[in-house]
Amino acid sequence: MGKPCYFALFDLQPSFELDRDQLATKYRELARETHPDRFAAESDQRQREAVERSADLNEAYQTLRNPTSRARYLLSLDGTELPLEATVQDTEFLFQQLQWREELEALQDGADMDGIASFKARLTQAQNELHDAFSSAWADTTRRPDTERLVRRMQFLDKLAAQVRQLEERLDD
Amino acid sequence: MALLQIAEPGQSPKPHQRRLAVGIDLGTTNSLVAAVRSGVAEALADDSGAVILPSVVRYLAERTEVGASAKDAASADPFNTMTSVKRLMGRGMGDITRMAGQLPYRFSAGDSGMPFIETAQGPKSPVEVSADILRTLRERAEATLGGELVGAVITVPAYFDDAQRQATKDAAQIAGLNVLRLLNEPTAAAVAYGLDRGAEGIVAIYDLGGGTFDISILRLSKGVFEVLATGGDTALGGDDFDHAVAGWIAAQAGLGEQLDAGQWRTLMQQACAAKERLSRDAEVVIRFGDWQGCLTRQVLNELIGPFVARSLKACRRAMRDAEVDAQEISAVVMVGGSTRVPHVREQVASLFGREPLTDIDPDKVVAIGAAIQAETLAGNNRDGEELLLLDVIPLSLGLETMGGLMEKVIPRNTTIPVARAQEFTTYKDGQTAIMIHVLQGERELVADCRSLARFELRGIPPMVAGAAKVRVTFQVDADGLLQVSAREVASGVQASVQVKPSYGLSDAEIARMLEDSFRSADVDKSARALREQQVDARRLIEAVESALAADGDRLLDQEEREAIEDQLDRLRGLLDSSDAIAIEQQAKTVTQITDAFAARRMNATVSAALSGRRVNDIED
Repeated sequence: MGKPCYFALFDLQPSFELDRDQLATKYRELARETHPDRFAAESDQRQREAVERSADLNEAYQTLRNPTSRARYLLSLDGTELPLEATVQDTEFLFQQLQWREELEALQDGADMDGIASFKARLTQAQNELHDAFSSAWADTTRRPDTERLVRRMQFLDKLAAQVRQLEERLDD
Repeated sequence: MALLQIAEPGQSPKPHQRRLAVGIDLGTTNSLVAAVRSGVAEALADDSGAVILPSVVRYLAERTEVGASAKDAASADPFNTMTSVKRLMGRGMGDITRMAGQLPYRFSAGDSGMPFIETAQGPKSPVEVSADILRTLRERAEATLGGELVGAVITVPAYFDDAQRQATKDAAQIAGLNVLRLLNEPTAAAVAYGLDRGAEGIVAIYDLGGGTFDISILRLSKGVFEVLATGGDTALGGDDFDHAVAGWIAAQAGLGEQLDAGQWRTLMQQACAAKERLSRDAEVVIRFGDWQGCLTRQVLNELIGPFVARSLKACRRAMRDAEVDAQEISAVVMVGGSTRVPHVREQVASLFGREPLTDIDPDKVVAIGAAIQAETLAGNNRDGEELLLLDVIPLSLGLETMGGLMEKVIPRNTTIPVARAQEFTTYKDGQTAIMIHVLQGERELVADCRSLARFELRGIPPMVAGAAKVRVTFQVDADGLLQVSAREVASGVQASVQVKPSYGLSDAEIARMLEDSFRSADVDKSARALREQQVDARRLIEAVESALAADGDRLLDQEEREAIEDQLDRLRGLLDSSDAIAIEQQAKTVTQITDAFAARRMNATVSAALSGRRVNDIED
């Protein structure tokens, strides 16, 4: 790719665990140096470069800030590019997925706001548990296949969370 | 003769030569211009001391009026007087037809499907009307600051889409303004508020203006203003309150569809005045024609309730997007004239669980924030500790895919600048071209999103279906404007567009408007020259007349007097002509022929003074 490692850009070691506040502080510091506003009085060439560097920085920050994209990025550094869509052969998780989906449909039909709130809380908890699981699997190089499976699970829960948000929006109408 | 300035080599003669830059709030109802002077950002006033310029333009056959005088004529001359034109910026004929009924204009379609309004000066696009407002502000700023501007930061509603932003930029170009940056209005307000109060933490800016509504949630941290999420509605504002009140009056008074455009404008002005009164009083008596009635604050609240509710819904969505709870927000700042309405304040307070801040001038705060940013972009703050604004795109950007679906490439609330690529492939064997349809919006179906541009990537070498790899790159700059390029990876075939929304102005239309504005600038200039000559000539005639009346008999012989009166008559005859040069020439002749007379009067005055008599005595 020719682009610097996102972790190195933020003075970090490649790792799933990171301090989000520290990342945000470093991001603001770097944004100050690269933002096109700083080059407003300079040549078009310099300004274009600033736009590109800023866009790269924003991309790096977004990737590291979100746990799922951070996990995917770690895998890609390791040589595993996960396709976004893939058939999942994770029967244990498939059952759980079905359960989540059915529950969400029932909440939608009942327009149950309290139910949605508690569903969201459980979803967040499940996401946190997945993050912990990924973190320990990542630390153990013999468990690479596990990490891929966990990232797919994280992606599924992200999608579910997006559906919950859409549902909330629809019910807000 | 001026002395030459000599500077040391490598040192500029004026070490702090400032580049003049302004911030402009181009509002639906009112517009302002502000600048940083001696370190303080302030709104600039016109000759009469007024800071606010009503965003109203009247097109008469001979001239164009902008501001208060145009506003006063809105009811008398509804078809030639443009109000709230910001609501039409970047809109196509389709949108206008939907808004019809609210708009008293006669529309026609331009070459590119953009609506034009028929006026006494011919068809005018909303962009040209905005350009006339911007030009007035530019001239005010140049007169006040005493020089040409290097550029301006112009504010736009955060929720403006690409077309509306592009239309604003086009208007600035026609007005002869260099746009340093299009800045989101709530972000500008946050800058003014944040710097003024030294605020840190998460703040919400609730900006309800005449025609647009924005909500932005920002994190303020050591001079960095990071927008976390923004939301809003570009067709929601105080105008809607006025319409609701006007509709209520019309219904109460039993007036149906028979109101003409002028009466409707009068009714709207009454409705607006009643709404404003109800911000102070519990009820107000309204008279319209033979009808008289009482509007209470409670009825007003019911009328405007649905609009306020829509704004609150956008607030909740922005909080979800920003992933913050109401409790985490440390301040809610109210911006825009419509936040003076008590019902709005109450509802916002109850949503956020805290009293909103209303002590900052809601009319000026946006222009002031823009002026501060303009100062930075003009390069006048070089101390390093300058502010930094990290803004977002308000609406998702994407492409049309199979089945008329919109695939998002950059989701809403992504920090700008941003560049993102997506790969597509051919779906037929031997396919050599691919159509790229750029969209903006949140809905799944293409038909529900705004179409920004269509272009074709041609010359792809024939391959089996699915073998070609077309990489489409979206790049959004710091103004929030999009550029799209496409490239077939194997062959390197490339195509790119600067997205010019399909229903925006064509380049030919912009070129024509630019020409018109130069021509009208010439006309304006010669019209001003003529008026100045006429004023000077009238002054001269009066002066000579009174001198003749006072001393003509005493100091002039018959022949001299006749010669003067003869030339004076000629000047009088020229006063109503439109020939500035002839007036100037004749005025000179009058001055020359009265020279001797003036000298004698001066001598008489002096000798009278020397002999102890007062001038008044002589003149008697």
